[in-house]
Amino acid sequence: MKLLRTIAMAAVASLLALPAFAQDFIAGIPRNEALIIQGTPAQNADWFNVWAPGGGGAANVNGLQQLSTDTFWFINPEGGPDAWQNALASEPPIYNEDFTQMTVKLREGIFWSDGVEFTADDVVYTVQTLIDHPGMNWSAAFTVNVASMESPDRNTVVFNLKAPNSRFHTLFTVRWNAAWIMPKHVFEKVEDPLAFNNNPPVSLGAYALHSYDKGGNWTIWKLRDDWQRTSIGMDWGQPQVKYVVYRTAGNPEARVIEQRNHNLDVINDIAPEGMFSIMKDNPTAAAWLPNFPFAHPDPTLPSVLFNTKKPPFDNKDVRWALALLIDIRAVALGSYRGAANLSALATPPTGSAPDDYFVPMQDWLANFELDTGTRKVKPYNPNVSAELANMVRGQWGDQIPTDPEQLKRLFGFGWWKQDVQAATELLQKAGFTKQGNRWMKPDGSPFTIRVQVEGDAIPTLARAGTAIAQQWSQAGIDAKVDVAGPTNGQRLSTGDFETAIYWTIETWGGHPDLSFFLDSYHSEFIKPVGETQPPRNLQRWEDPRLDEIIERNRLIAFDSPEVVELGKDFLKLAVEEMPMIPLMAYNKFAPFDTTYWTNYPSAENPYSASGPNWSNIRYMVVSLKPSGTAAQ
Amino acid sequence: MRMSGFFIYLAKRLGQFVFVVFTGVTLAFLIAHFSPVDPIEQTVSLLTSFGNTDPRAVEMLRQSLRELYGTDGTLFEQYLAFWSRVVRGDFGPSLSAFPTPVMTVIGRSLPWTVGLLTLATLLAWILGNLLGALAGYFRNSRLLKLVGVFVMSMQPIPTYITGLTLIIVFGYVWPVLPISGGAQLNLEPSFSWAYVSSVIVHGTLPALTLVLVGLGGWFISMRSLVSNIVTDDHVVYAELAGVRSRTIFSQYVARNAMLPQVTGLALTLGHVFGGAVIVEFVFNYPGMGRLLIVGIYAGDYSLVLGVTTIAIIAVATAVFVIDILYPLVDPRVKLG
Repeated sequence: MKLLRTIAMAAVASLLALPAFAQDFIAGIPRNEALIIQGTPAQNADWFNVWAPGGGGAANVNGLQQLSTDTFWFINPEGGPDAWQNALASEPPIYNEDFTQMTVKLREGIFWSDGVEFTADDVVYTVQTLIDHPGMNWSAAFTVNVASMESPDRNTVVFNLKAPNSRFHTLFTVRWNAAWIMPKHVFEKVEDPLAFNNNPPVSLGAYALHSYDKGGNWTIWKLRDDWQRTSIGMDWGQPQVKYVVYRTAGNPEARVIEQRNHNLDVINDIAPEGMFSIMKDNPTAAAWLPNFPFAHPDPTLPSVLFNTKKPPFDNKDVRWALALLIDIRAVALGSYRGAANLSALATPPTGSAPDDYFVPMQDWLANFELDTGTRKVKPYNPNVSAELANMVRGQWGDQIPTDPEQLKRLFGFGWWKQDVQAATELLQKAGFTKQGNRWMKPDGSPFTIRVQVEGDAIPTLARAGTAIAQQWSQAGIDAKVDVAGPTNGQRLSTGDFETAIYWTIETWGGHPDLSFFLDSYHSEFIKPVGETQPPRNLQRWEDPRLDEIIERNRLIAFDSPEVVELGKDFLKLAVEEMPMIPLMAYNKFAPFDTTYWTNYPSAENPYSASGPNWSNIRYMVVSLKPSGTAAQ
Repeated sequence: MRMSGFFIYLAKRLGQFVFVVFTGVTLAFLIAHFSPVDPIEQTVSLLTSFGNTDPRAVEMLRQSLRELYGTDGTLFEQYLAFWSRVVRGDFGPSLSAFPTPVMTVIGRSLPWTVGLLTLATLLAWILGNLLGALAGYFRNSRLLKLVGVFVMSMQPIPTYITGLTLIIVFGYVWPVLPISGGAQLNLEPSFSWAYVSSVIVHGTLPALTLVLVGLGGWFISMRSLVSNIVTDDHVVYAELAGVRSRTIFSQYVARNAMLPQVTGLALTLGHVFGGAVIVEFVFNYPGMGRLLIVGIYAGDYSLVLGVTTIAIIAVATAVFVIDILYPLVDPRVKLG
């Protein structure tokens, strides 16, 4: 028994001694000089070759593509008059008349972090090396497009294209990433650029690699002494953040705690509940929106995807009937606890899209008529944002504005009314019959639907899928949720699904051109079910009118006013055909801690994207200001 | 003990070991290759998601990666190639960390897992057996009854909940311990006190979770064993003969009860090479369990096979070692 007492006393003594073991969070770096960002575990932490597939992507997003790489242009997904940013290029691309040649004028005075000057030779070398090495990132895209290159002087590159392509420059235009320029003087000494780990990487950005964990838990980048000799340094002035730390931060609960302990300045994405907890209880927290719904809407559009090659989802009346059975307010509450930005149009309601598309198309949406077979209905509800706001006002009180125009920007411009009677008529028009409370298909078999979701990886979409399946079940359809886990992507691309909650529409956000996703919707790229469909158009939606819009868009310039008109034509066609039911923007909950840094981007000051994995975050890093808090 | 008998016994056990390893690794190979997750598609998805993607370029990329990763060939050809590499200790390149060899990737995680799990397993084993033996011997002690209630109430709590509770208590309510990672940021691995102490501090909560979760099993089994032995004739006789109770406890009771527990310990130690998936996930610990999960999600069957093969060999080796040591410590085991 004496032994037992000894054990108990030792345990208590150990607990009391714990505070003595407390350590600085980062060894050797003052906390108030470091910005700590949530990173991704990297299996291949030694790998810094962003042009080869090594690293599984994680190495690239732990600062490599945000802080050390550069290319010609960036587009701020938040839009605004300054959305287009010249980076390594001194001006926008210059095309010839038939878009078979693109000329790029490069900025002068840019240097790699090892002191070598950046020139047109680096650009030509990059593209040629990628073409010569199939399997390298962007290799295939350049092989398809580039016939030859010239560099008439050290600051000019001319690309001669194999075929007219008015969007060739988008290969060098960053939204999330783009084709980065290689250091010729490093890679030309390497025998196999695919097997080269590029460690340490020579930087073209304002930061260079300082240190990293071989286990892949953290990577630290340090401000270059010659930051002025970078494109971002020239345009944005002296950065205040001296060190940028990308670190893994564990499960969602741990991330919330780490931020409240001021050990994580930027969280990438957490569930709505975590965000609400931080914003309610942490006085130093900040977010994209200062009040509910707090979230940053990414230019990504979660939707109910239909596999249009599988009956009965090849019938637009069925697709429309399923849309009208949805009560979107319940879906918004069930998935995002109401913090959702709804979209009836097939483009995310973010960046410049509200002013380019949503506001101008309200009249068309309000007057849009649907033929149910027995009558015509106007399904659009322009007041859904106010209804949703009323539902969450009880919990969030004064945080919810009352101005209808403001509510539309927060919760969406409108959506479809839940109209069970119209849905019934549409299903009957498609040959469906009702036995008791069960819908039967035209062949007499029960109408069953599998609603595929990825699962825990994207909990908000899994919740949305569950809510929608429940609503369809209540209407008499045997709908079941199918959790696909890591097989989700493959099942979507091979057409092994009926309906799915996912996104096939992503946009520039800061530019109205929809070719970012739309070009791949052309019917020439559609594969039979069972074969792998290229990314986007996982619905395998095929329509000659769609092809016509895409072909016309290919022949006009990126900044042509006609781009918006073609965009509207596409959006109208998508409403009429309903190949997917757009739900809402992908609302990202990315809270910031202002203990050490302030001036984070926000809806009021949208100078940059806020997602840590997006390369645009470099503009945020160099814009932060110290809060004045002393190091711990 | 006749030596020839021992060698026949050894040869049989060795044959059994080889059979177990061969069957286990073959099954692991088949399961990994029948996984519906295609590593090529996972890589294509990573490289094309969020970006501006030309469908013609994606098709070209897919074909290039298939050639690069060497995933062509029939299943049988891949199986033969796999064994020829395994005997050389080479699992090929990791497909999710291409072209880094699987053994290099595993080599980074293995020390963390083995260190954490060995320490936690030994601590749980020692504490569980000690407290279990005391509880079984001093059956009327109120304090030990209380310990029993605590330990048994911990037993059914899922590891995830235990870990999360410790994170909240020691990371938020009383924030004195790190809740994530294996060591302090920006610290170079070395045998310096700064690094070693950092590893210990970071490993405290994961280890405590494993000890709390593992304690109950050892406690309950040891208490049952001791409760049976204390009623055996030789213990009753010793008590009647006036032998000191400490001697009876340590020499007559606990020692006899230890044999199955030692077997259990050896088997459990064999499992440390497989990683503690849940604990490593909860505490973001850079071990084999986390590696295995990443490998499964990425469809990286080279990596999954590497981790499972090492785990299979470790467990089979532990069983083999127990088998050959048993006749030496327990004469009741017959040879030949």
